[in-house]
Amino acid sequence: MPNRLEITLNAAIPDPEGEGLLKKAGAYFGLNLAAVRTVHVLTIDKPLSDEQLETIRTEIFTNPVTQTSSYSPLPVPFDWIIWVGYRPGVRDNAGATAIEAVEDVLGVKFAPGESIYTSRRYGIRSDHLTRADAETIAGELLANDIIQQWRIFSGDDWHPEEGIGLIIPKVMLNHTPTVTTVPIDSDDVLRRVSDQRNLALNPADIPTIRAYFLDQTVQSDRAAMGLSDPTDIELEYISQARSDHCNHNTFQGLFRYRETPDGPVEVIDNLFDTCIKSPTLHLKEQKDWVVSVLWDNAGAGRFDDDHYYVITGETHNSPSNMEAYGGAITGIVGVYRDPLGAGKGAKLIMGSYGYCVGPRDYDGELSPRLHPRRLLDGVIEGVRDGGNKSGIPTPFGQVLFHPGYLGKCLVFVTALGIMPAAIQGKPAELKTTEPGDLVIMCGGRVGKDGIHGVTASSEVFSKHTPAGHVQIGDPYTQKKMHDFLLEARDEGLIRFITDNGGGGLSSSVGESAMFSNGCEIALEAVPLKYEGLDQWEIWISESQERMTVAIRPADLDRFMALSRKHAVESTVIGRYTDSGKLHITYAGKTCAHVDLSLLASGFPQWEFDAEWQPPERRGLAEPVLSPPRDYGALLTDLLARPNLCSREWITRQYDHEVQGTSVIKPLVGVDRDAPSDGAVIRPVLSSERGLAFSQALLPFYSAIDAHHMTACTIDEAVRRLIAVGGDPDHIGGVDNFCWPNIQHHPVGNPDGKFKAAQLVRSCRALKDICLAYAIPLLSGKDSMYVDGHLPGRYGETHKVSALETLQFSAVGVVENVHRCATMDAKTAGDRVYVAGVTRNELGGSEYYARFGYIGLNAPRVRPRDFSALYRAMAHCIKEGLAASVHGVYRGGLGVHLALVAMAGNLGMTIDLSAIPSEGVDRDDALLFSESAGRFIMTLNAKNGNDVERLFDGLPLAQVGEVTGDGRVRIDGTGGNRIIDVATDDLKAAWKAPFSGL
Amino acid sequence: MKHIHALVLTGYGLNCDHETAHALELAGANATRIHINALIDGSASLDDFQIMVFIGGFSWADDHGAGVIQAVRMRTHIGEDLIRFIEKGNLILGICNGFQTLVNLGLLPGFDNDYRQRSVALIANDCGNFRDDWVHLKVNPDTPCVFTKGLDQMELPIRHGEGKFYAEETAIDRLAADKQVVLQYALANGHPAGGNFPANPNGSVNDIAGICDPTGRVFGLMPHPEAYHHPTNHPDWTRMRAQKGGAGWTAEMMLGTRLFENAVNYLRSQ
Repeated sequence: MPNRLEITLNAAIPDPEGEGLLKKAGAYFGLNLAAVRTVHVLTIDKPLSDEQLETIRTEIFTNPVTQTSSYSPLPVPFDWIIWVGYRPGVRDNAGATAIEAVEDVLGVKFAPGESIYTSRRYGIRSDHLTRADAETIAGELLANDIIQQWRIFSGDDWHPEEGIGLIIPKVMLNHTPTVTTVPIDSDDVLRRVSDQRNLALNPADIPTIRAYFLDQTVQSDRAAMGLSDPTDIELEYISQARSDHCNHNTFQGLFRYRETPDGPVEVIDNLFDTCIKSPTLHLKEQKDWVVSVLWDNAGAGRFDDDHYYVITGETHNSPSNMEAYGGAITGIVGVYRDPLGAGKGAKLIMGSYGYCVGPRDYDGELSPRLHPRRLLDGVIEGVRDGGNKSGIPTPFGQVLFHPGYLGKCLVFVTALGIMPAAIQGKPAELKTTEPGDLVIMCGGRVGKDGIHGVTASSEVFSKHTPAGHVQIGDPYTQKKMHDFLLEARDEGLIRFITDNGGGGLSSSVGESAMFSNGCEIALEAVPLKYEGLDQWEIWISESQERMTVAIRPADLDRFMALSRKHAVESTVIGRYTDSGKLHITYAGKTCAHVDLSLLASGFPQWEFDAEWQPPERRGLAEPVLSPPRDYGALLTDLLARPNLCSREWITRQYDHEVQGTSVIKPLVGVDRDAPSDGAVIRPVLSSERGLAFSQALLPFYSAIDAHHMTACTIDEAVRRLIAVGGDPDHIGGVDNFCWPNIQHHPVGNPDGKFKAAQLVRSCRALKDICLAYAIPLLSGKDSMYVDGHLPGRYGETHKVSALETLQFSAVGVVENVHRCATMDAKTAGDRVYVAGVTRNELGGSEYYARFGYIGLNAPRVRPRDFSALYRAMAHCIKEGLAASVHGVYRGGLGVHLALVAMAGNLGMTIDLSAIPSEGVDRDDALLFSESAGRFIMTLNAKNGNDVERLFDGLPLAQVGEVTGDGRVRIDGTGGNRIIDVATDDLKAAWKAPFSGL
Repeated sequence: MKHIHALVLTGYGLNCDHETAHALELAGANATRIHINALIDGSASLDDFQIMVFIGGFSWADDHGAGVIQAVRMRTHIGEDLIRFIEKGNLILGICNGFQTLVNLGLLPGFDNDYRQRSVALIANDCGNFRDDWVHLKVNPDTPCVFTKGLDQMELPIRHGEGKFYAEETAIDRLAADKQVVLQYALANGHPAGGNFPANPNGSVNDIAGICDPTGRVFGLMPHPEAYHHPTNHPDWTRMRAQKGGAGWTAEMMLGTRLFENAVNYLRSQ
């Protein structure tokens, strides 16, 4: 008989969780709740004696100072009760730690099938709440039906002795694992099977697959193993390896590009090779700090003689769009496994985030699965818990809003690690598997998680069907594994390591077996969360928190001893061979026997038609707009726009100082409330060296030309890095592309050719700018289907595609962190300088967006001119001549001068006629043009001559002064004062939009 | 000079081990990172150490109350060893998750030298969220706490979701009367925060940020002294550099490392 323990805070103690719900119900739905109390519920599905139950109640689950608990329902006052629990098979992290504690205290073991399930019930007081209102609170605030279930009780429904009842979300499959053989009589037959089984085989790949299995040598080989036609597990393996996610078929595709619809066709064979790989290899020759690129889970650069840093970036868009919290926490925890699986393993030192969502106050006619407000809340919390509980600082992040992300949100997550240059005298960045090495799976167990991604979401739920397609990351389990693996690494035990992410064991074992050229896997050895998985499911499950490691048999005892010490599960699941085959058995019977070389052989390249339409041809033009008169009100309003205003509410929820490495924090200035240009950490505590990091997201310019979007994004990331003290000679890049589908379809994707052309232009800009700025691309990823079909008002659906988006990350080494800089004005009397030229480049700007315009003149990057300026700026910072340095980004000079003043709680006088400019004759353009390549700098007058000498021949001018009177005063080119606003008022407006959160 | 050996507890989701060990080393101690299970299985011994630090992090993910399961596991397996460690005159420091663990173990506040009784708690912040910010702290000049000797005010980062100090009024009064309140959240001028957010970041009763046992040798605090071991850890360091100028701008900084130095000096003087 299961037992249900309820725990709640004593009535006299405020309940912040309940308060939070009360606040959100009011703010989001206008529901007026009088009070909310939370009850934590543990449903213990294991026979325990009364004495044992009482022991765990008092010893573990009840704080005698603050809590009350009982195995009967607690009499919490309510008008409505909402109970929320997980669906079967959803990761219940708190349930797992509860089991650990109970086993420890009682000295018992939970048998397979026994478990503890956590859930919550909320006692809501409110006179006039209806059942429909309670449903809204449950479905829109507390629970997501794809991972959770809920029940609602009124006073009449509630039985004080029975309470919520005994709800056991246990997975029961009652299924015998079965290997199925798939007929390959014809291409059509295989295609049909692929559709039925959600294999997602590319039709063009099917003949190649069939040809392999029909080959006579292959067939006789297979016959010797007891195999005939391909098995489901073999086809799943091929499907995973050939997926766009794993194989990047789009970037490796063949593009037929036309500059104009009637222009000549230019063939670009493989965007990855031409625009990413080749420039990076070229730069690697010149940059001796580039250690490892283009093959591993993360790229590596030299931090100092004894350490390498590693970096990579990922997105987790589709899962977050379905279940924001689960998708986001799985995303951040997942990307943290990449540095851990880079080389022989790196310690995690930093993470960052980028969220692109629909407008937070969206009230239009489309119905996204999750409202952007709710989606953003969930994503923020997911990355918060994932990062904080991993003990990894999150000192940088960006959020932007645009209706294009209503179709699908973007969740970028980036991870950095550090490794010693050598481990036991051997290069840490290199790894390989050799015949005889053992294949070990470490960390979590395998369930039906993430199998075939979101396609599983359309399956019908039953009471005991695992809802595993949307996962919840478990940073606790992973942190234990992280600590364990680094200790094993330092003892020289790890020969090869890689993470289990997309494709699960199929990818991690498949890829690591390429080094030794073969492996034998005994699939029944893989520890499962519950019985009843088919062999193919075990093989491709994406259950989280797992790494695949190769060790020598002689090291097994030591490796397992360390694993036990760290309370991490590790299992030998096979060994590497040099047979040339992926050989999988289950209970001694072969279920897969495939040549590893199959994947490298003869699969057809994807092909795309790409037709560019210049913006003029698309009808874009500059708006007819007279200069405004009330610049003060305009500036104030711009600062309050969602894409410019303060996001302190998010930043402070992220631990950005754990590990004790913080040098430049995400929030700087006298009140520590202004967003920093970039982050700097000091990852080796005994060293004065730093690692600078920044990112940029500027998808708005894609509305004009993705070429300019790309160039401006890279340029902004570079300036952000320089502004905090980065070195122009050491900038590593990470490109993360998020693009709508580019495969043309006359009905489903009529503008596919244009989107493909945008991608070609973007990749070419990436190549050109990276070569010009000498940025090797240390890592990068792409997510190619950022589209959604949203229900409208009349039962119709609308396809919504995101703006073509690139997130660019820049990383570099700072020689001495004492030379770093922040963006806040420091002292009244300091001079204000602007470096870089302001041009008439308002196209795609926030200023135009304020009025609903796009315009035509997108900012252009002039890398040769800009590079010289950046070198001067970096030199100036290194010499300690600047008091503050800040790049000019979205919103232009008006917004960013104000931010510099606001950060210092100081005033500023500015003369627009002094600003270096070309072809600009209007004050609004000077203030709000988003020309790239510019900085604002404040400095003590005594450094003026030195600075001006450093910038000799470059566009630099003193444009004003920092003042102590707390007012931002700007004179227009006509000599008249156009802005005179209190800095405090600007700051209040800038902070207002999200201040209540 | 006497070698002082410090144990930095690791494992099960704890995460401030490297910087805590580093701060201890800067303070002159020999610091060793020891896994909780190494203490339990006997492969490491408390007898080899004079300082034990329960560090920050999310032990067992803090799923059932911060520091709760860590305390349960420690009490179940080495509870009596910990009490003997204190009785031998050694020092115990609990930072953030470590502080939460010490109060759940009952090692704090240790009224009447009873180190088994839970009488205070650290619960969810009033603001409802995890929060990372720097706070001003006022040091109680009358406390017996050996870690804060000679200190008046400090600035340190807080990073927690469950840092609200809570106890029944009698316990709060007793802490004050016995001078066991070591640190209070304060304004920049050193006056108590008076419960006002964000100076008091979590709603702690009486602005309490850290307490000690009656001997002053067991100390727990929510802020992170180990995260302020370098001048550039301070959020205003670029402002101080600009405004004070020259090379000496770090001279007046009161690093969190001072708490560790006091501990080492105390043990050396014994």
